[in-house]
Amino acid sequence: MLSPVTDNLDASGAFCSSPGAIEQVRYGCSLGALASVIAIPGAVPITHCGPGCATKQFHALSGINAYQGGEFHVPSSNLGNQEVIFGGADRLDELIRSTLKVMQADLFVVQSGCIPGLVGDDVGSVVRSYQKQGVPIVFAETSGYRGNNFTGHETVIRAIIDQFVDVNDAPLQHGLVNVWSLLPYQNPFWRGDLTEIKRILEGVGLEVNILFGPSSAGVEEWRAIQRAQFNLVLSPWLGLATAAHLEDLYGQPFLHVPTIPIGAKATSAFLRQVVDFAGLDRARAEAFIAQEEKEHYVYLRDFASFYAGCTSQYRLPSTAIVVSESAYNLAVASFLVEQLGLNPGPMVISENPPADFRETIQKSYRALADGAGAEAVFEQDGHRIHELIRQTDLTGEVPIVFGSTWEAALADEIGAPLVEIGYPCTDEVVLSRAYVGYRGALALIERTYTTVVRASTMG
Amino acid sequence: MVLNLKNPQVETRDQRLGTITQWDGRADQLVRDSVFTYGCSKGCDNGGRRLCEQSSPFQQASMCAEHIAVTNATIIQESVVVQHSPIGCAASQSFTARYYRDLAARRGWKLEDPKSICTNLGEQDMVFGGVERLEQTIRDAFERHDPRVIFVATSCATGIIGDDVDGAAKRVEDEIGIPVVTLHCEGFKSKHWSSGWDVIEHGILRRLVPHAPQRQPDLINVIHLGGPDVFSPLLNPLGLRVNLVMGGNTLERLAQMSEAAATVTMCFVLSYLATGLEQEFGVPEVKAPLPYGLDATDNWLRDIARLTGTEDKVEAGIASERARIAPELARLRKALKGKRGFVAAGAAFAHGLLADLRELGVDVDSAFSFHHDPTTDSGDSQQDSLGHLVDVWGDVPNYTVSPDQHFQAHAALQRARPDFVICRHSGTMAVLAGRMGIPVLPIFYSNDGLGYEGLLTIGRAILRVLPRKRFYDDVAAHSSFPYQPWWLAETDPYAAIAEPA
Repeated sequence: MLSPVTDNLDASGAFCSSPGAIEQVRYGCSLGALASVIAIPGAVPITHCGPGCATKQFHALSGINAYQGGEFHVPSSNLGNQEVIFGGADRLDELIRSTLKVMQADLFVVQSGCIPGLVGDDVGSVVRSYQKQGVPIVFAETSGYRGNNFTGHETVIRAIIDQFVDVNDAPLQHGLVNVWSLLPYQNPFWRGDLTEIKRILEGVGLEVNILFGPSSAGVEEWRAIQRAQFNLVLSPWLGLATAAHLEDLYGQPFLHVPTIPIGAKATSAFLRQVVDFAGLDRARAEAFIAQEEKEHYVYLRDFASFYAGCTSQYRLPSTAIVVSESAYNLAVASFLVEQLGLNPGPMVISENPPADFRETIQKSYRALADGAGAEAVFEQDGHRIHELIRQTDLTGEVPIVFGSTWEAALADEIGAPLVEIGYPCTDEVVLSRAYVGYRGALALIERTYTTVVRASTMG
Repeated sequence: MVLNLKNPQVETRDQRLGTITQWDGRADQLVRDSVFTYGCSKGCDNGGRRLCEQSSPFQQASMCAEHIAVTNATIIQESVVVQHSPIGCAASQSFTARYYRDLAARRGWKLEDPKSICTNLGEQDMVFGGVERLEQTIRDAFERHDPRVIFVATSCATGIIGDDVDGAAKRVEDEIGIPVVTLHCEGFKSKHWSSGWDVIEHGILRRLVPHAPQRQPDLINVIHLGGPDVFSPLLNPLGLRVNLVMGGNTLERLAQMSEAAATVTMCFVLSYLATGLEQEFGVPEVKAPLPYGLDATDNWLRDIARLTGTEDKVEAGIASERARIAPELARLRKALKGKRGFVAAGAAFAHGLLADLRELGVDVDSAFSFHHDPTTDSGDSQQDSLGHLVDVWGDVPNYTVSPDQHFQAHAALQRARPDFVICRHSGTMAVLAGRMGIPVLPIFYSNDGLGYEGLLTIGRAILRVLPRKRFYDDVAAHSSFPYQPWWLAETDPYAAIAEPA
């Protein structure tokens, strides 16, 4: 038998199910998509699972991951021996009934975990009886063994669209867009990033259903999904299934931009692409872009004096090693290589993207900076990721690592500073900081070079 | 009560001790009901009421035994933990790594990430079983890290599909020649997460403590939840060396537990190990009430001195420690006078903090315990920590037992309206209190309140958080919880959930 640790191909070929044993875990399970529900203002998950499942997922994705906080008082059936033996559907019914008496929400999302999946609870029929009474409640099957929190995220979204968003004859609203981008909580910077994405899209004349986070209007945005002119998928693959589904349902077209833009060059190009796709007023968009760039490049001009002047004093890095889920990996790698002029080191994509998308993702890397030699590696096991980086020849280079807490020891070992950009991110406290768009790029530069200077001056 | 160490699965605390997780009333009533139900050696008269658990149809996410067992296996040095589970159970790895690195920094260990690997079971494994993958992962763990012990933890999923985890562990153990210790910790098997302590302690007792020990008469085992060594300063003056176990340790420390002169447990929730050491190896368990508060600390030291033959040194130590802390204790009592506290923690630990607060002169009439053990494994009434608290310090009129339920904690705090909260398991309670405008002191390292110095540690820490009321009031005024208005006003944690929505 092939070793599950040494063979990284899932023999089953199942969609994101199990790529083998994993050391230094970099994502949650399907049930972890409860974080996506919590990310929707006004929505509350109801979890039908063991007593520790929901807490463990949210504590990992939010509590210890950049200390993001978030509304965690999640109803849970806390299944025990009795439900494992006799089934837990009755217990779920009792939980939903009492939840409606104690809590208030605009939308409840029932999520099942491993236990009901294995003992065969008919969760759907329990939930349907509440739907028939007009309760805003949906059911998403998120058994932990069925996938990770990325696939669980799409399962939850699909449940809300299919079971909650009414199909009606509401008029299409030209200039309204639904944005499907970063995975909430998994990415520590999602709140600030989504806010910046919304800001720049509004800047060129769109109205935005950002759908998650503090800048979202919450459940009412979800009700307005159908009215949107189009869907914007701003990530290498996450959200594509949702956009395709919405195209089937409502005939909504979608624009897929795999690279979340960081920095003026990429952001302006992205905005022009959106403007063309949506047929927006170009003059208005160009005026916004010009204003943003004017301010942005004042800062880059000033940063140039540090970047040029301190290159040898602080051993400014020359090669970027990026370990992250694909959305941030591609975004950050593109910025570092194309806009700051770093060499691409190992680029490790750690969320086990579905096999169908890997070739397209790889092409995005190969196209960076006219073939600077960037190459993505798909690997989710920390031990193998670190071996791969150790084996990379970095002769003559000054490396810097963009990764997770798991890369801290490795970065020390190879003498590189570490900028935490992904889960788990235990050494950053993040609130509204963004790393994408115009403004986020400046914050990313600040964080990166503060880290570099400190590594140099404080050992 | 005899612990059964032959079976790889520990008998749950629900079965052994009659643990409950839901109750509300006067602490003295809970003591009497527990004693009546589980045996009274004091000849008390309680009117014949048996311990009766409450219930609520509404529940919120809690914690599970697997989390406790796996965390405390992972922080054992030179170990690898294999979590035989779908990926979600291993989400705690990042927390555990942070915890380990913090412990390492505080205890002077090598700074490194602890090692754990998840078999990452998928749907296919649910159908065909995951035993082969488990065996290979154990081999890989051995190849990768050259550990001295490998723990294999089960999960709800593997418990339900019935993987023969013990068989797999045994087969690979024979191949690789190091102990492969199984931890049966399916979350659904016990209604309280503290059963996870029993699981890891059962595994240690069964596999990592050698028989035929040589006694070390000056060695005393100290079983604690985790954190800095606050015990050596208390026990070294008696000529005793501390063997600090649980909460992160070396395999040598675990192995020499059977050689010690006695065992003390800093929280009776963890006393399975101490009871097991007495039963299997004849290492006596110190049963005196825990050293929270001045008199209890005196008596605890005296009991240790009695068991270790060091009575000649103990009174001098007690006198000098009391004298040392007296001026600062007086300052703290003055500063805390008139303040009203609220304690939220797990059973014996909560009882200890209550004693500390009362010793510090804080008014505390409300407490929130995450579970309640009506008895302990030793069955010795000295370990009735709640009974001891009530005897020494008086009743706690509002005593709630709840497995960290946010909605019940909200009601309990509405009822108590304290000036501050002191709590453990900061996930629910700390942020709840803060957002209700109540300053909160979360205790991560549970040794903070122990002994003479602990009174100063806790008192000073409370004074440090009180000014944060300015921040919490501001947040409280600008945020709300998604409960129905009637529940937001509710002050009974177990109020019937019958109101219309």
